[in-house]
Amino acid sequence: MKRETREYNLDWMLWSSVVSGSKVKDGTEKEYRALLRLIPNFSGIIDGILRQGEPGRLFMKMGAEYLDDIKTVHDKGKKLCFGTFVASKTLFYAFDNVVPAWAEIMTVFATMLMRKGTAEYMDYCCEAGFTETSCSAQRGSVGAYLAGLAQKPDFLICGAPGICDTNANAMQFMSEYLDIPLFQLTFPSKLTGRRITDYHRRDYKALIEFVEEHAGSRLDEDRLRSVLEEHKRQDEIINEIYELARLKPCPMPPMFNLFLYAGKLQSSGRKAFTALLESMLQVMRENAAAGRAGTTSGKERARLLMCYIDHYTTDARFWQWVDSQEISLLPTLIFTFFNKGINYAAGREDQTYEIDTSTMDTMIDSLADINSHMPMVKQLRGPYDATGMWRDDLFFMSRIMKPDMTVYIGSMGCRNSYGVNKLIQRDAERFGLPTLLLFADAFDDRVASWEFCEDKISEFMHVRGILS
Amino acid sequence: MINKMKEAAHCLQNTSVKEWKRDGGKVVGYSCTFIPEEIIHAAGLLPFRLRGIGTTSMSIGDSYYGAVNCSVPKCILQLAGQGSYKFLDGAIITNGCDSMRRLEETWRKASEDYPGTLPDYYEYFPVPHKSVDYSIEFYEEELNSMIESLQNHFNVKISKSSLKKSIKLYNEGRKCLQRFDELRSRQDVPITGEDAKAVLIAAHAIPQEHFIDMLKEIIEKMEKAPSVSNGKKRILLMGSASDDIDFIHVIEEAGAIVVADTVCYGSRTYSTLIDEKSDPVHALSSHYLTQSICPRMLGYYKTRLAYVMDVIRKTKVDGVILQNVRFCDLHGSENGIFERDLDAAGIPCMRLEREYGPLSETGRISMRINAFMERIS
Repeated sequence: MKRETREYNLDWMLWSSVVSGSKVKDGTEKEYRALLRLIPNFSGIIDGILRQGEPGRLFMKMGAEYLDDIKTVHDKGKKLCFGTFVASKTLFYAFDNVVPAWAEIMTVFATMLMRKGTAEYMDYCCEAGFTETSCSAQRGSVGAYLAGLAQKPDFLICGAPGICDTNANAMQFMSEYLDIPLFQLTFPSKLTGRRITDYHRRDYKALIEFVEEHAGSRLDEDRLRSVLEEHKRQDEIINEIYELARLKPCPMPPMFNLFLYAGKLQSSGRKAFTALLESMLQVMRENAAAGRAGTTSGKERARLLMCYIDHYTTDARFWQWVDSQEISLLPTLIFTFFNKGINYAAGREDQTYEIDTSTMDTMIDSLADINSHMPMVKQLRGPYDATGMWRDDLFFMSRIMKPDMTVYIGSMGCRNSYGVNKLIQRDAERFGLPTLLLFADAFDDRVASWEFCEDKISEFMHVRGILS
Repeated sequence: MINKMKEAAHCLQNTSVKEWKRDGGKVVGYSCTFIPEEIIHAAGLLPFRLRGIGTTSMSIGDSYYGAVNCSVPKCILQLAGQGSYKFLDGAIITNGCDSMRRLEETWRKASEDYPGTLPDYYEYFPVPHKSVDYSIEFYEEELNSMIESLQNHFNVKISKSSLKKSIKLYNEGRKCLQRFDELRSRQDVPITGEDAKAVLIAAHAIPQEHFIDMLKEIIEKMEKAPSVSNGKKRILLMGSASDDIDFIHVIEEAGAIVVADTVCYGSRTYSTLIDEKSDPVHALSSHYLTQSICPRMLGYYKTRLAYVMDVIRKTKVDGVILQNVRFCDLHGSENGIFERDLDAAGIPCMRLEREYGPLSETGRISMRINAFMERIS
């Protein structure tokens, strides 16, 4: 790792960038344009977000709040819980002295905002002994933690053994390398049924005991109820957003896709996310009423469904490109959460979660249920073509969102998805959905540049006659 | 006797399997050490550990798997697709790791293009990733489902008493293997690592009764056999799946002798015995879910380190080779931590990433191991 990279902590740098970025629109438009010239390496992402108007401003504010909590965690006498995105944050916000930081969210922030992405942190993981073939989504931030360039976590949560071993492995490595206590949530290969629910519940109760032990505080019933009620309200708004996203043209701006799942992963149960969702919904309602697509031009030339994750490298060029091509970006498949009433779960309500705030027990059950439906946890736990798994979700989503094509991109560490993505492609094509597999890394441009990905998607669309 | 073991290690359908089939016996393949052979055996079936040995092409494996998947299941798929596993009457695939668990789908889907290559009995068997009371209960229920499913498909009865008999038999095999390990790691080593590896592979490729008889003979000979170590450096081999005795040959050609291992397809499965007194299914679930040293059981590194340190202490090795198959992050990353901790304990070790299957990179591996030998000389 370069000496200059060691000058600043990763969490401080991200906080500084996002907090500053959230303020650049405070002045006049002329001042704003001048400021963008001073941040050439990430002006695209800042402008791309802030151009969305109120939702963009609220998204930046939400990010700033999140990063501020992380940066100041120990100054405020709180405990830092570090984990992976497959564990729901809702529980942790119900503790007043716990701040959750998730590896992938930190990686995405860093990947988008830093000129060379997270390459040095990724490589530091390898220097420390972690495999170079591991997932860049974790390595991108974990490297900074291993190097001591961030607030040291007080305890770790992993929720991915058997869902994504590489992901879970990152937490085990970190636990041993830094000598930090680790709890792992585990999941049976099936999703529904009494035995499964019982397993989820018992595992989740064990997690709560672990958090209480390491946070030195008890889970507060009133606070938990308040967070879950907020979560419930957010789910209701999300249901409406998803319903609007079905329209042709799709009234959802491409960047909203990121706002939606980043907010869900980062700030579920927090008021900042509710405000963001309300604002997004307002924009979408206006677009829908005007018969306008969510793209900057207001036109829709094609509808794209990313069947795994999006592409995150420097400056968020993926979203900018999609927007510039007048492509509607439909809600990314893996970031579906299966809350009650969501349109893609119609007819398979047994695969959804429901929030019940009546008692402490029902709330804990709800938390376990929410967690068992997290991205990847839901779709990747069993055979890809079993009921409720990846293929099922792709077909259900396609039927209601009517994409013109789907694109797979993952990371070089995605053993689980790479293990069957060719099968998914074959089945999806037979289903009638043009499917492109990109051999690239969503978090690491060194594997294949964004320009390569852009070129491949463009070529595919032209060859298949999706976009002339 | 060693030659029979070597035959079992070198090919899939060895003489014992052929004889078993000729006598009307049925064979059930399984992918991982978390599937109790005792249950398959109690059903009167021959449990056979799936391997990817002898693969000469990856045309089928690469067609269904992605580029970043480990070559162990890819080689198994390759063999399955080209019909090498047609002798199986059943197969059970488990979620040992992310690449291996996808063998269930890739094999099933490949069989649509290569008809007749999927065994009639074909099951996915989920194994929990932690060793706590509720996961053991869950696993026990899954074992009961497996028993029911085997009974239904093969029209057999797996009784508690037959299970107890199988547990007793396999415990006897474990005791013999424990003795075998003691002998192979004594000061004057009576067997090469290459031959020892053949024995360990054969343990899961031929009928257990037959294996125990042969192993007893080998042990008897080993008690009096002359040393084959002759000042060679004593090595502990650790890491991911390794069932290629040619790989051990390459290590030993460099002037080493492999006297112990903790690898998959190696000494991983017999360090403790299964309780013969309690309910057999409960005994199996408690044993298999708590005694494994596989890193798929995340969060148990310290237990595994303690186990490894105990092996090192008992076998008095000069060095440790921490190998992993490329894209095996579970072993690969844990090897990174092992390297740190073994170095700190003054135990020389080297990390080696390699491909599974035909030793296409023998030169590189040989050079790395030679360098390590020089380092520990």
